[in-house]
Amino acid sequence: MDIFGQLLVNALMLGAIYALAAVAYTLVYGVIQLVNFAFGELFMLGAFICVSLMLPSVALFGWQAPMPALPFLVALPLAVVIVAGLGVVVERLAYRPLRNAPRLAPLIAAIAVSVLLQSVAQSIWGPEELRFPRFALGQLPPIVLFDTIYIRVMEIFVLVAAIASMIGLTLFVQYTRMGRAMRATAEDPTAARLVGIPVNRVIAMAFLIGSAFAALAGVLYAQTYSFAHPTMGFLPGLKALTAAVLGGIGSIPGAALGGMLLAFVETFAAGYLPNGAAWRDAVGFAILILVLAFRPQGILGRKELNEAPAGSLVGEQVAPRGLFAPVDRFFGWLGQGNTVLNIALACIAVALAFIITNDYWLRILVFVVTYGMLASGLNIVVGFTGLLDLGFVAFFAVGAYFTSILFVLVLRGRFGIDPADIWWLFYANLFLGGALAALIGALIGTPTLRLRGDYLAIMTLGFHEIIRIVATNWIDLTRGPMGIRGIPTPSLFGMPLMSPKYLYLLGLALSILVVFGIARLVRSYVGRAWVAIRENEVAAEAMGVPTARYKLLSYATGGFIGGLVGVFFAHSQQYISPLSFSLFENILILMLIVMGGLGTFIGPFLGALFWIVFLQVAQGMPLIQAHPELRYAALGLVLVLLMIYRPQGLAARARVSLMMSK
Amino acid sequence: MSTPLLEVGGLAVRYGVINAVEDVSLSVAPGSIVSLIGSNGAGKTTSLRAISGLLAPAAGSIRFDGRDLAGVAAETRVAMGLAQVPEGRRVFPRMTVLENLQLGAYLRPGDASVPEDLEAITTLFPILEQRRKQLAGTLSGGEQQMLAIGRALMSRPRLLLMDEPTMGLAPQMVELILERILEIRRLGTTILLVEQNAVEAIRLSDMVTVLRLGRVVHTSPGSEIGDDLLRDLYLGHDV
Repeated sequence: MDIFGQLLVNALMLGAIYALAAVAYTLVYGVIQLVNFAFGELFMLGAFICVSLMLPSVALFGWQAPMPALPFLVALPLAVVIVAGLGVVVERLAYRPLRNAPRLAPLIAAIAVSVLLQSVAQSIWGPEELRFPRFALGQLPPIVLFDTIYIRVMEIFVLVAAIASMIGLTLFVQYTRMGRAMRATAEDPTAARLVGIPVNRVIAMAFLIGSAFAALAGVLYAQTYSFAHPTMGFLPGLKALTAAVLGGIGSIPGAALGGMLLAFVETFAAGYLPNGAAWRDAVGFAILILVLAFRPQGILGRKELNEAPAGSLVGEQVAPRGLFAPVDRFFGWLGQGNTVLNIALACIAVALAFIITNDYWLRILVFVVTYGMLASGLNIVVGFTGLLDLGFVAFFAVGAYFTSILFVLVLRGRFGIDPADIWWLFYANLFLGGALAALIGALIGTPTLRLRGDYLAIMTLGFHEIIRIVATNWIDLTRGPMGIRGIPTPSLFGMPLMSPKYLYLLGLALSILVVFGIARLVRSYVGRAWVAIRENEVAAEAMGVPTARYKLLSYATGGFIGGLVGVFFAHSQQYISPLSFSLFENILILMLIVMGGLGTFIGPFLGALFWIVFLQVAQGMPLIQAHPELRYAALGLVLVLLMIYRPQGLAARARVSLMMSK
Repeated sequence: MSTPLLEVGGLAVRYGVINAVEDVSLSVAPGSIVSLIGSNGAGKTTSLRAISGLLAPAAGSIRFDGRDLAGVAAETRVAMGLAQVPEGRRVFPRMTVLENLQLGAYLRPGDASVPEDLEAITTLFPILEQRRKQLAGTLSGGEQQMLAIGRALMSRPRLLLMDEPTMGLAPQMVELILERILEIRRLGTTILLVEQNAVEAIRLSDMVTVLRLGRVVHTSPGSEIGDDLLRDLYLGHDV
C-alpha cells in the first residue's frame, strides 16, 4: 500500500508537470502547426532563471554576479514572465520570417533554436548543475495521509498551480476575445484575417502563453528534483511532446490527459517492473508508438491534423539569383549527372589521400566520409521521399552493434576466434548489417505508414529513443554505457587497414558505391515514385503510385545504408557506446543534409565537410576553447539564417527533380 | 457621379513567374453593385484577394475611399470598412454560429450596437437565429454561405467583397442569396461581386467588368451587355 500511495503522489506530480509543458506544444501546434522543439529549452531556462533569482549570487559566464535572492513566490512569476517574453522574441526572429517557407523549414529552425538555446545556456550557467535553493515553502513539514503517504506542501502547490493554470487557459480560450481569435486562427488563418484578426499577434500570443507554461513546468520540475541543468529540458520536452500527441495535439484537455497518462504509466512501470527505473522511458515511448499506430490523431485529437498540408516538404527549386547565384550556377553544373565530371570528382577525392600526408587531417576526412554516407542514407528518406525521420541514427546503431557484438562478444569472447583469421567477415557484415537494419527499417516503417508530416517525425523519434534505451540498458547484449572496446580494424587479406590513409580510402570506396547505388535507384522508376511522394503524396497515390510500398522501400534503403555505415564506423573507430547514437547525432545529420541540400547527391557530403572542418577550425579559436558548446550555438544560428534566406540548402540547384531531363 | 468608393488602377498580381492578373482597372461607386465576371482562371478571385490584402500586388494602385491601400494589412482594411466573403465560404467549422458572427465583429470590441447588428443579420437570414448554438461545420452549404455573409456584415463594412457567393448551391438557394444581396445594398452597403453565374450577376449589377486571361476586356453597365457580347466574352472572340 505505501509504495502504491507514494507512486500515486509521484505520478501526479510528474503528470502535472508534463501536462503543463504539453500545453505549450499543443497550443502552438494548434495555431500554426509547428512542433516548437525549443519549448524543452524554454522549460530549462525557466528553471535556471528562477533559481538564479532566488540566489544571492550566481556564476554567469564564470563571473560571480550578484542576484536579488528573491523568495520563491516572487522568483517564479518573474521567471515565467521573462521566458514568456523570450518565447515571443524567438517566434519573431526565427519563425515569423518562415511563415511561407517550405514545410520543413520551420521545423528545422525550431530544432536549431533548441540547439542554440541549450548551448547558450551552457555558456552562461556552465555545464554543472545548479542546486535548487532552499526556500520557506519547501521546508514546511509534510502532511501524512493514512500514516503512510507523505505529501509535501510543495507537492500540493505543484498540483494546484497546474490545475489552476489549465482551468485559466481553458476559460481564456473559450470565453475571451483573444481566445476566440486564437481558435479562429487555428481553424482557418485566412478567414481569420478576413474578419480583421491580427493573425501575427495571435500567433505571438500563443507563443507567449506556451512559453509561460513551459517555464512554469520547468520551475516546478527543477523544484521537485532540486536541480537545474542545461540539458534538463531535453527529455521532459520530448515527454511533454509525447503527452501532447498522446492526448491529441491541439487539444488542451488532451494535453492534460496525455500528461497524466504518460506520467502514470512511467511511474508505475518504474515502481513495479523489474529494473523498471531503467526502462521507464522506453515504456513511455512504446505507449506513444502504440497509440499513434492505432489512433494517429491521439486520444482526444481530431483527424485532420494528421493530414500533411499540401505542398512539398522541401520547397520549390530555386532560381539562380542574388547572393547565391554563383553557388547555384556551380551546383547546377555539378549536379547535371555528367559521367566525366563525376569520375573527375571521385579522382580528386582519391587524390586527397595522397596529397594530405598529415594523419590528423586524414582522420578528419574519415569522419567526413562517414557522416557524408550516413547523411546520404537519411537523405533517401527525408530528401528524396519527403518523410521526416528523426530516428535514423537507430539504423546506424543497429549496424554498429551487430558487427561489434558478433566480432567481439560472440566470436572472440565465446569461441575465441582471432578476428585476423576472419578478416573477410567485415566485408560480409557491411551487407549483413545493412540488411538487418533494412529489415528493421521496414518493420519500423509499417506502423508509420498511416502517419504524415510531423506525427511521423515524432513516432520515428520514439523508435530511436527505444533503441537507444535498449543499447544503454540491455547490458548482457551491448555492455551498456561502457560500450564495446577492441573492435578489430578492417583488413584486406590479413593486411590491417589501420592507418587513416587506408581507412579514408576504404570509406571513400564505400561512399562511391553508396552514392552510385543511390543515384541508380533515384534515377529509376523507384526514385521517380519517391520524388512524387515527396512533392505530393495524395497526388502520387491518385496517379497509382503504391505509396505504402515505396515508403517502406525508402525506409529499408535508408536503413540499409545506415546499417552499412554503422559497420564501417564501428570498425574504423574500434569502440562504440550508446553516446555515439544519441538523438543529437540524428539532429546533426539532418542538419548536415539541410545545410548541404536535401534531395541532392552531393549535399550530404558537402554538409559533412563544412561541419567537420568548421569543428577543427573552431578548436583554435580562444572563445571556443573557453566555451566549446558555442560551436553548436553557431550551428544553430547558421541553420536559422539558412532557413530564412535559403531553406533549400547550398547545393539546391543539384536537386533531383520530378522531371527527368534525360 | 460621386467619387468612387474603390478605385483599382493598373493592378498586376504574380504567382512566381506567372502573371495571374495584369493591368486590371475598375471602380466601384458608393451604393452600387459592381460585378467582376469571367471564366475559370480569368483572375477574378486573384483581383479580389489583392483588394482585400491577402495577396500583395506586383504593380498598380488600390484606393479605398480616397486612401491608398499599398502596404495596409488585411486586418486593417477590415477596420477601414472593407470586408470579404471568401470563396468557399470558409466559416469556422468547429465554432458555433453565434461565435462566427461575433468574430465578424472582432474589431468592434465594446461597441454597443453589435447586438443590434446581430439582430439585423438574423432578420436578413432567419435560419441563423434558429441555428445559433449549432457548430458552423454542421450547417448546409447554403446556410454556411448565409453565415459567411452575415459574419462579413458584422464588421459593418462600407464595401462588401463577395467571392462566388452562389457557388455549389441549389437553385432555390441561389435565388435567395441573390435577393439578399440586393437587400444588403438597399441597407446601404456597396458590393463588389465576383461571379461565374454571369447572367444573374449582370441582372443584379449596376456595372460589370469582364476579365479574360487576367486582363479587363470589357466594362459597361449591365444593361448594355447583350447575349451576343456575353457569348463572345466567354468563348474568347476578340472584342
